[in-house]
Amino acid sequence: MTDNPSTPDTISQEVFARQVADGPALPLAADDTLDRHTRVDLLKQERAIAAKYQGGPMWGYVVAALGGFAMWLALFPLTMFGVVHPLITLVVSTFLTVAGYVTCHEAMHDNIAKRGSRYRWANQLVGEVSLLPIAVPFSMGRVTHLEHHKHCNHPEKDPDYTDEAPNWWMAWYKTWWNRQPRVDGTINRYKTVCMALDTRESRIALKQTMVVQLIYLATLFTMAWNGHAIAAAVCWWLPRQLGLSYIRYFLSWAPHHPREGQTERYVQANIFKSHVGHFLSMCMETHLIHHLHPGIPNHKTRAAYMEMKPILEKRGVDCSAL
Amino acid sequence: MAMQVALEKLFAIMPFLFGIGFIAPLVAQSMAVWGWEAPSGMSPIMLGLLIGGSWGLYATIRGRWI
Repeated sequence: MTDNPSTPDTISQEVFARQVADGPALPLAADDTLDRHTRVDLLKQERAIAAKYQGGPMWGYVVAALGGFAMWLALFPLTMFGVVHPLITLVVSTFLTVAGYVTCHEAMHDNIAKRGSRYRWANQLVGEVSLLPIAVPFSMGRVTHLEHHKHCNHPEKDPDYTDEAPNWWMAWYKTWWNRQPRVDGTINRYKTVCMALDTRESRIALKQTMVVQLIYLATLFTMAWNGHAIAAAVCWWLPRQLGLSYIRYFLSWAPHHPREGQTERYVQANIFKSHVGHFLSMCMETHLIHHLHPGIPNHKTRAAYMEMKPILEKRGVDCSAL
Repeated sequence: MAMQVALEKLFAIMPFLFGIGFIAPLVAQSMAVWGWEAPSGMSPIMLGLLIGGSWGLYATIRGRWI
């Protein structure tokens, strides 16, 4: 479960190589007098800190993913047979739906176990079960999320760009609006991106998305016409709606707003103070660290940020919030 | 290919199917739980089908639920 923690992730390696070769491509908002030597030195320091936080035990995510999925499944019969009150089911299932995205997110970046690891199956398993509450297959989640990293904040190429909104209440509204049947947002945008990519992975993602959506709808219809419509609503339908809005708001809008023109390395995401705290905002307050070093697990981004803060400030990052 | 076309057509009318497949029984069962009665002597499931079917049809045509 622990791959070499000192091995930098592939994205960071590529970025480092590109930046050293093409110095002027670096954003120097704070101090444009930074010379090449300083830039390289800062990048080396940043990478040295990042290496300390990459890797480490990830069993907690595996246990959380499998335990959460089992609990989510158990809610179906428990609610259908009246053991658990529908309102309790709604709250618990919504929490599990949101938490599932966090564990899946680690799997998307191979942080549970890298390719070639003897625990690679755990990475796949965590990814597969974690996204089912939102009725999206792991393949679709991974392909589109990696595209988000590759083209972060690009209006056409970033699959999450449609979450952009001028303020927080419009952002919440947009999370719902983007799920309308023929609006180009969320899953509809994901499908468009996958069709445009036309790779083996994206074609698989499209097929699996169709299968998962059919299973989701067939389950709702079957439960509903057999007298369990309310159970279906509080176990899967409503938690999916609420969970998706929560995920889109905290994982996409809040850390990336405003997106326009923010495509450079140090401005792709923000450091912000969440009203609901670090845990309930899924550790997104320090999302910039994740974009700089995706190999750092979610729960370590805050500690990594605190150590990296002086370097980031020299880079011109606004660190005033935390 | 034929399968793909069939599935595309199925998903195109999915809001309508969702209306009669899920919203209709949800309306009927919610009415039963809260003790509401359908107007004009209609059965709860008939009212559910009326609401779910017409709402789903609207969403299918407009591409939005509201």
